Amino acid sequence: MKIRTLRLLAKEGTNNLYKNKLMSLASIMTVVAALFFLGIVLLIAVNITSNIEAMKRDLDITVFLKVDASDFEREEVIAYIEREKEAGVISQYRMETKEQAYENIKSELKNEALLKGLSAENLPESFYIKLTDPAYSDEVIVQLTKFTGVNTEYGIGYNKSGLERLEKILKVFNYIVMVILVILMVIAVFLISNTIRLTVYARRREIEIMKYVGALDSFIRWPFIVEGILIGFVGALASFFATSQAYTWLQNVLNSILSSMGLSTLRIIEFSPVALHIFAIYAIFGVMIGGVGSILSVRKHLNV
Amino acid sequence: MIRFVDTTKVYSNGVVGLKNVTVNIEKGEFVFVIGASGSGKSTFLKLIMHEEAPTEGEVYVNGYSIHNMPRSEIPYLRRSLGVVFQDFRLLPNKTAYENVAFAMQIVEASPREIRRQVPLALALVGLSKKAKAYPNQMSGGEQQRIALARALVNNPSVLIADEPTGNLDPKTSWEIINLLEEINQRGTTVVVATHEKDIVDTLKKRVIVLDRGEIIRDEQKGLYLNEN
Ligand SMILES: Nc1ncnc2c1ncn2[C@@H]1O[C@H](COP(=O)(O)OP(=O)(O)O)[C@@H](O)[C@H]1O
Ligand SMILES: [Mg+2]
Repeated sequence: MKIRTLRLLAKEGTNNLYKNKLMSLASIMTVVAALFFLGIVLLIAVNITSNIEAMKRDLDITVFLKVDASDFEREEVIAYIEREKEAGVISQYRMETKEQAYENIKSELKNEALLKGLSAENLPESFYIKLTDPAYSDEVIVQLTKFTGVNTEYGIGYNKSGLERLEKILKVFNYIVMVILVILMVIAVFLISNTIRLTVYARRREIEIMKYVGALDSFIRWPFIVEGILIGFVGALASFFATSQAYTWLQNVLNSILSSMGLSTLRIIEFSPVALHIFAIYAIFGVMIGGVGSILSVRKHLNV
Repeated sequence: MIRFVDTTKVYSNGVVGLKNVTVNIEKGEFVFVIGASGSGKSTFLKLIMHEEAPTEGEVYVNGYSIHNMPRSEIPYLRRSLGVVFQDFRLLPNKTAYENVAFAMQIVEASPREIRRQVPLALALVGLSKKAKAYPNQMSGGEQQRIALARALVNNPSVLIADEPTGNLDPKTSWEIINLLEEINQRGTTVVVATHEKDIVDTLKKRVIVLDRGEIIRDEQKGLYLNEN
């Protein structure tokens, strides 16, 4: 096909888009809605993932020594921690002495009666360790377990099972996102192909004439495909704009709610770092929905 | 040029449109296909342009064989033909000039060629003045002439017309028929389906007479009705 023909067909497609204003608008809105919903679902997934990462980074490993651990046993553990800190496995740590433990308990348990019989002496010393990467946690915990001064009775470490449950939920959520995505795409393709069907119908005389004069199938098809792709792309642009506005607004609202609830580790992420990705996804999906929708419709209703 | 060999067309609902038709139309001929309504005239023309495929037998047109023709070949067959219909079939949202130019754009002619050929085609049908008019601003006769210009602009070797004067008054009909004759004199094969006795009897061209899908008469310089 010659370049000028492609240009002609692109022009025809654009003109048709404009001529069928109302129908085009309806399909564009369909794309906007489908992509908007898709974007919101994706952004929720991104937020959950990023917050889980942040929570992991934030979690301490807590190690209690035995109440009767000797100085040597304590020094052994400190030496190990220092070594791992040198190696870049542990980012920081804090030791809690028996006295500090007592003070903490005292401030937590306001009830004097419960404190009776409790002294600093029968409280354990403990370490709060932050890792540079949560992936090291298993290894560090195994190492710590080997020290004789470490109390392994209640286990070492953080609330791993909770985190694992969260990650499982995230996985399931991702599957659900996939399913929703597929369903949305199917619906959008269906709606677009319906619009294109209407424009095919509106232009059936023109198409008939084109066939009599000897137009190739591709010549007849392309303006419709161009029309579909344009619908998809314009829809993607509009949807991107709507998404960025809605998200930014929601982000501000939710963040202020979170900080007022004191959940400062939880953050709704900014839009700008993911804007390009979202835009690319919208553009690709929009164009695909529009193109596939019109190809299906033209195949079915144009008999070309 | 056009050859039917024992061709039968049965429509999907079982109606027989054409039955065992064998006929030969040579290059440069002017042929009337006549017969009562429903006798198969349109079917005859539809087979030539492959709007319908034959059920049995073969049709050869400009070197193409119509039976089991691959889909991809149909456009090229059609480009070797010009077609006009009773109802003109112009695009209402394009001017006369654009309607004619459209036929050239479809076959990917260059803009230079289009600018040269379209005015010639409009001049041939005597409507240079109406180049900028839209179909609804023209009379039926004028619209049919534009349709003729469109059919001819790509220089087809065969022109097919299905009742081209069916919607026109007698005077205008004659203008169209005279144009068809002129086009034929320039070397184009012309096949016209009609049931207008006057026209057929005045022109005294070859007539192929159909009745219930069969050829019952095929005469050079024939009349509408049998003389004897
Ligand atoms: N698409 C079709 N489907 C079924 N029957 C048809 C179709 N087209 C034409 N026919 C039938 O075939 C016969 C011949 O029709 P046609 O060729 O249109 O005749 P004419 O043009 O001489 O009036 C008629 O009986 C008509 O009803
Ligand atoms: Mg007819």
